[in-house]
Parts: sequence; C-alpha cells; structure tokens
Amino acid sequence: MREIRAWFLRLGGLFHKERRDAELAAEIESHLQMHIEDNLRSGMSPEEARRHAVIKLGGIESTKEDYRDRRGLPLLETLMQDLRFGFRSLRKNPGFSAMVIVTLALGIGVNTAIFSAVYGVLLRPLPYQDGGRLVVLHQQATQAHVSNVLFSAPEIADYRENNHTLDAVVEYHSMDFLLLGNDSAERVKSGVVSANFFDVLRVRPLLGRTFVAGDDSPNADAVIVLSYNYWRRQGGDPNIVGKVFHMNDRTHTVIGVLAPIPQYPEENDIYVPISACPARSSAKVIGDRSMHMMTVFARMKSGVPLTTAQADLNTVASQIAQHNPEFYSKEDGYALAAAPLKQDLTRRAQSTLLVLLGAAGFVLLIACANVANLLLARLLRRERELAVRGALGASRSRLVRQLLTETTVLSLTGGALGLALTYPTLALLVRFAARFTTRANEVRVDPVVLLFTLSVSLASGMLFGFLPALSSSRQVSDALKQGSGQSTTSMGRQRLRAGLVLVQVAVSFILLIGAGLMIGSFIKLANVDPGFSPDRVLTLNLSPNYNRYRTDQQPKQMLALADNVLRSIRNTPGVDSAALTSTFPMSEQAMALGPDHLKFQIEGRTVSKGELPSLTDETVVSPGYFETIRQPLLRGRTLTERDDAEAVLVGVINQTMARDRWAAEDPIGRRVSFDQGKTWITIVGVVGDAKEYGLDRPIGDELYIPVKQGGFRGGLVVRTAVDPVGMIGLIRKTLHDLDSQIAVDQVETLEHLRTESMASPRLTTILLSILAALALVISVSGIAGIMALSVSQRTRELGIRMALGQSRESVIYMIVQQGLVIAVAGTVVGLVGAGVFGRLLASLLYATSPTDGFTFLAVSLLFVGAAAASCFMPAHRVTLIDPFVTLRQE
Amino acid sequence: MSEKSEVWQGTLALMVLKTLETMGPLHGYGIARRIEQTSGDLLSVNYGTLYPSLLRLEQEGYIASEWGVSDNNRKAKFYRLTRAGRKQLGKEAREWGQTTEILARFLAPEEKLL
Repeated sequence: MREIRAWFLRLGGLFHKERRDAELAAEIESHLQMHIEDNLRSGMSPEEARRHAVIKLGGIESTKEDYRDRRGLPLLETLMQDLRFGFRSLRKNPGFSAMVIVTLALGIGVNTAIFSAVYGVLLRPLPYQDGGRLVVLHQQATQAHVSNVLFSAPEIADYRENNHTLDAVVEYHSMDFLLLGNDSAERVKSGVVSANFFDVLRVRPLLGRTFVAGDDSPNADAVIVLSYNYWRRQGGDPNIVGKVFHMNDRTHTVIGVLAPIPQYPEENDIYVPISACPARSSAKVIGDRSMHMMTVFARMKSGVPLTTAQADLNTVASQIAQHNPEFYSKEDGYALAAAPLKQDLTRRAQSTLLVLLGAAGFVLLIACANVANLLLARLLRRERELAVRGALGASRSRLVRQLLTETTVLSLTGGALGLALTYPTLALLVRFAARFTTRANEVRVDPVVLLFTLSVSLASGMLFGFLPALSSSRQVSDALKQGSGQSTTSMGRQRLRAGLVLVQVAVSFILLIGAGLMIGSFIKLANVDPGFSPDRVLTLNLSPNYNRYRTDQQPKQMLALADNVLRSIRNTPGVDSAALTSTFPMSEQAMALGPDHLKFQIEGRTVSKGELPSLTDETVVSPGYFETIRQPLLRGRTLTERDDAEAVLVGVINQTMARDRWAAEDPIGRRVSFDQGKTWITIVGVVGDAKEYGLDRPIGDELYIPVKQGGFRGGLVVRTAVDPVGMIGLIRKTLHDLDSQIAVDQVETLEHLRTESMASPRLTTILLSILAALALVISVSGIAGIMALSVSQRTRELGIRMALGQSRESVIYMIVQQGLVIAVAGTVVGLVGAGVFGRLLASLLYATSPTDGFTFLAVSLLFVGAAAASCFMPAHRVTLIDPFVTLRQE
Repeated sequence: MSEKSEVWQGTLALMVLKTLETMGPLHGYGIARRIEQTSGDLLSVNYGTLYPSLLRLEQEGYIASEWGVSDNNRKAKFYRLTRAGRKQLGKEAREWGQTTEILARFLAPEEKLL
C-alpha cells in the first residue's frame, strides 16, 4: 500500500519541476546557513565554516541530484528524454524516417492482415458457449477410402440411444424450399434440424425463440426461424415474429430470428424442424437405413475427453455393424470418427493460411534486416555524436537504451501505419477465406489482433535496433580519434551488414521459390483439359413446386414438365442446344461434395471375399447433354429420347470406368446393377473423361443415366449461339412464361464456374507472388544500398588504386564481385531453406514437385541477375571518381 | 544503489523517526545534528543522504513537512511524525530489537549457547 502511494507521488514528482527545485534549493540553503552559523559560533573563520558545512553535506549538487532521483522516477524521466530526443533526430532525417516507417508498415501490415485471418479462422474459439465440446460425427468406410458418409435416420437413432458419453446428438441437412409469392417463386436455402439443434450449439435468438421440444413432432404447427442475414434482406422487420410464410404448400409461422453469428456448417436462409421437411418426414427416409442424407453433431458430456467419446462411439459402431450385416459389409470397414467441430470447419483453410502467414513473417524479417542496415549506415554518421556523449559520461547501456528508444518509436509508428493498411485489405481477405470456411465472417481486427500488432512492432523494433546498437564502437577514444567522415568502418560492422543482406537474400529467395512453384502449379492447373468445352454454356437450376403434383403421379408429371422446359428453351432464338443434368460440372456444390461412391456389381463377375467393392459416381442427364457441353463420344452411342421409362435401362460410362472395369474388353452391351441384380443397366456408350468435380481432382468412375429413367433433378445447361450472359433475361422469361412457380437460380456460365473453381489457388498464387515481389524489391535495394555505401566509404582507397594504375574495369569488377559473393552465398542458404518451405507448400501444389528443378533454376537465374544489376549501379559510380580530386581531399 | 546503502538507509529512517518522536517537529539540519549527538562519535552522518531519506518517508506518509521559522529566526522546513509514522516506528523498533537480540545470541561466547 505504502509503496503504491509513494509510487504515485513520485509519478506526480515528474511535474512542476521548477517549483519543487526552488523549494529544494531553499531547504538546502537554510540547512547550510544553520550549519555555518553553528560553525562560526564554534570559532571557525567564515570561509572555513562554509567549506566544512558543504563537505559535511556531501556536495550541494550531488545531494540535489540524489534528492531528485528519489522525488521522481528516474527511469521514466530518462525514457521521456530519450523519446523527445528520438523524435527530434527522426524529424531531422525525414527521408530516412519515412523509408524505415514505410518498410515496416508494409511488413507489419501484411502480418497483421494475415494474422487476423489465421486468428479468426484457426485460433479463435467457436462463438458458441463451450464450443470445445462440440463434435462432428463422420461415418466411414475405411477399406473403400470413403471418409464422410452422411447418416440415415435409423443410424442417428442408434447413436443417440446407445452412447454413454454425449449430452445430445442432433442432425442437420440442407434443403431448398420454394417460397411462393403472388406471381413468383423464390428458392430459400433451409437448414432442416433437430428441435434441440440450437440448444446444443448454444445459439441464442435475436428475436423470438428457437425451436423447442415438440416443434419437430409430426403434428406440430409449422414454424421457421430466420437467419439474421435473410431477415435483413427481407427488410429487417422488428415485428417479424408471428408473421407467416407460404412454403411446401403449408403456412409457416416465424417464431424467431437468429443472432448475427456465423452459421455452421453452412449459411442458410431459414431453419425448419425435421417435421417440416417432406423428404425427412417420409416413411421411406425414417425407416430406411441406407438413406444417407444427414450431418450429425454432438455435444460431449462435460469433462469427457475426445478419446473417451471416440472409444464409446466405436463400441456403438461395431454393435450397429453386427446387428445389420446386410448394410455394413466387412469389406467396407465400417467406422465412426468424431472430430472437433472447429477443426472440421477449418481443415481446408489451414495449410493455405499457414503458408501465407509464414510468407508474411519472412517479408517482415526481410524488412527488419533492411531497416537494420539503414540504421547501421546512419549510425556510422552518428558515431562521433555518440562518442562525444560517451566521453561526457553517458554509459554504454544508456547509449544503447537511447538507440533502442529511437527504433521503438520507428517501429511503433510503422506498426500504427501498418494497422491502418490492414483495414482496407481485410474485406478482401475475408472473401478469400470464405472459399475455405464459413468462419471467414469472423475475421476482424479485435484486441487479440491489436496485441499481436503491438508485440510484432515492439519485437521488430528490438530486432533491428539491437544489432546496430551493440555494434557501436566499444572504444570511445577510437571514435574520437578518427578523422571527419573518412573513417573506415570496423570489420565487425562490415560483416554484420553483409550478414544482414545475406539473410535478406536467402529469405527472399525462399519466397520467390514458393511463388514460382505456385505459379507453375497454377499454370498447369489452368491448362488442364476439363474434358468438355465450357464456353457459351449457361447453367440454370430449376426448382418447380413439387407439392402441386400428387405423390404417385409426381415422377411422370415432372418428366412432362422437363419435356416442356427443354422444348421451349430449344425453340428460343439464340439457343444452340439445351439439356438437363443432375450436377453442373465444377459448380460450388459439385466441388464441395465431390462424386458419389455408389456400390455396383458387374454382370457375370463374382466379387471374391476381401476384395474392395466397385464404386462409381452417377449423373442423370437428358439426351443432348454430351452434345451441349461438348463431351466427346468415344464408342457406342449417346442417350436418346427413346431411352424412356418403358425401354430397357441404359447408361453411358466415362473412359476411366471403361479402362478400370473392362480394360481391353469392349464394355458396350455389358450390364451393371446397383441393387444386387434386381435391375440391370446396359452400357450403350463410352464418353471422354470430364473434370466435373474440380480440375485438380483425379477422375473416378462415372455412369450417366437418362433423365427418363433416373428422374428430373433440376439442372439445365444451355449452349447459346451468342454471348450467353446476354441470353439470361430471355431464358428466364421463357421459363417464367412456362410456369411462374419455377424458381430459377444458380444462373452462371460454365466458363465462370471453371474460373471460379480455380479461384482459391489463383488467389493464393497472387498473394504469395505479391509477397515474393515485395521481398525481392526490398532485398535488391538492400544489396544496392550496401554496395553504394561501400563505394562511398572506399572512395579514397579506390582513388589511390586507380592513381597507382589499376584499371577502372578491374575496380568495377572488384566491387561487383563483392556484391555477387553475398548474393550467391545467400542463394545457397536460400536453396536449403526452400527445400523445407517447399514441403509445407506441397499440399497446395497441383502436379508440381516442391523441388521442381525448372522453378529452382529459373528463380536462381532471376535472382542472381537482379543482384548483379543492383551491384552495377553503385559500381558505376566508381567511374565518376577522379583520382586526383580524391587524393587532394583533406 | 548498492546493498550496503540500502541497509544504511533503513537504519537511517528508523533513527529519523525516533528523533522526531523524542524531539517533536524538527528541521533537516536539526535532525542530522541530533542523530550525530545521540550516537556520540561512533556515527558520522553524511548530511546529504538525509534529505532523500526524509523525502521517502514523506512519500510513504510516515512524516509530514511544512515551512516554519527556526529558533534563530531562519526560514526552514519542519518535519513531524504522523500517526502512521508513530505506528511504523513501534513496528520497526520491535523488529530491530529482535534482529539485534538474535545477532547477539549468535555472537555470544560459546559456553553461553550450551
């Protein structure tokens, strides 16, 4: 307590110094006078009396100094002095200060921006209470290498009832429902969830309430919860609770609006309980163990570690497999994996973000090395100032502290500017991260990020301040003895500068290699033949109002609608061809979900025990599909109008499936079955491979079956004779005229989908290239700087050399060689580092080895070339030296 | 500040407090002289070290100061003991007594220890 009180008083002692000093002087004076009077009384002479008194006091000024130290806080006072002095000397060198601050601002800004993404996505706890206890369950067929099978209703019930480690098990799936207006239809993305879904996630509503037990019972009133964003888009009516929406031919009452927090696992417009989903509440889905359509989340009981929960779930899984052998064959290797929700949501973003953070860290390192070099150069000119201050009694630690204060001022200013640079780039970064994870919306500058920026600024200030400060002359007398400005630098400092440049070179070389690899990989990716021709093709997703059709008549009526759609679109002027499909190649959904893995058998072949089951993807397409997207027919025939419900079941396979399953044989006429031989599909044709699920994904088996045998699934592709974007309006109108209750969305060009599918590698490549370019510029200017300084310091020596007959060319050669030695040494160090960094990149590269020889060679040449160029400029200044002028100086 | 002077300062503070308790309000010179007199020839106080010590005691609230006029009509700063100072003096004197007692036992001739 007493200490704190004293501390505050001392803090107060920093102010009103003049008054306090006057008071102290008066007190000391009165002390002396009293002492002198006493001394006089004891018989001393006046001079003697005063001398004695002062000696006894121990010196007037030193007493005052001791007193002042106790009065204020000496450390703080020195700091303020240093700060004032630092600011003054930085203002005197605006060019130097600006250079340093801008370099640091770039370095720190880049790091802050990327760290805010890393923190928001990977590190920050989920915005749910006790989010660490939330897990996602994945069913797996380990032997078939399938790691994420969705759940069927009976499976969910099994896990819910038989586990001992989970508080609650909830399900989720997303459905598109049609929201009907007077003369329009809007498709809304609806999360279909258990009634306790929001309770388990601990999500509170902004308005009204979320679901309660009973909302999902079959006879409950139809209720919906709106997402915050959808509510805003609808006008943000504060009295929305209680209003009704018409959907699935029922009236739904709004009971609540969610708070604006990110939705997991994906963004939805609205949420409904499972009873509101026609598919989910159908007897078939409820009873059929093979209807896999739900994602399952669970909350672990408090205090239960993940490993315990996993062991418990393993037991349940093996029970399930034992009781239902017809669904879980031994060959599949049925298993259940529980993964923390956070990890599951951010898995895809992790490697990209960490690579970028690493690259940003490298840029800052280079920036610090550069600033350290600038400081060294400036210190050279301040050597005498420092020497004089040392001679006047400033201790070495005091001088180092002064220099560090200055660099801290610089780094904090740079950090503040860097932070300002972060804000405008943040929106860009959020959109970038959104390609990997729904957590992207949580990326923002918050106290943790600010703390990061502050620590990075301080740390870099220390880093680039300490090296030069420690290198300053140990011998005060040496510095004073040196002549004006012609001093040769100590070998130690020269080596330090060269070392700093070497670090810059090595690190920027690593970054350039990284960027080079990414560029090479991206070029390869962009040149991958998708197997179809995406130009001038439109995609449109149609959602008819299914509820208008009676269930037993639905498939037939849907096909009639599909026929009408195709006929009227094909008759629209400007349309070349049109077809239906269940999946758009390279659409967001296709990329996210990937191909199906449907088990099938080939007629006449028996599967031996232990052999892996054959798996294929299935796409439902209408006649004209291959012609529309220009996927080439290799053998047999394509699908025709005659392949309808009454005709024999047929299918077309891709080249990979023909090769995988029949090798040298002719697959035409062979039959496959998905239902243990109850029905057989005859293969009538082979088409070329199409990269439907992403350019970087290996192609698997693919079976195309006709719409009239597989059912209408809503996807429409249209090849136009003219620019497809200009045709959108006309096609929409044609569809609206046909049936105003068809909702149309996902209107894109196939070309756009192809470009979008490469967006994340492209953005990663661009970001890494920018960082690498920044690094190259900084380090090349670093080399140029050290060369220029070395030339200007050696002017005299070089003058003498030339006067004694050394040729200009050989002098230039000598200088350039010095720079190149550093550049080459740095490149060699960088080569080693690039080997390590490349391994980190490997997961982001497509068909490119992280030690790609061509990239390494090209980057090395580019780098040494740039280094040589940066040496030549200062070396050229040698030619301006006139030996006679140089020698006459001083 | 070396360890030695820390110790010295602590003792000095105790002496200052005791002096002010005995003598009542007193100026810095008076305190210095009194300490010197009380200690006889054994202790030679460097008067200068007294002032930071006084300031510290004042900052900690054990003493208070005000300007006044000395016996021989000279303007001087007078220090007096506060209530907290009186308490602190009691505490420190007790502690000091204990310390010296322990040291005395240690330094006593050996037979006495047995």
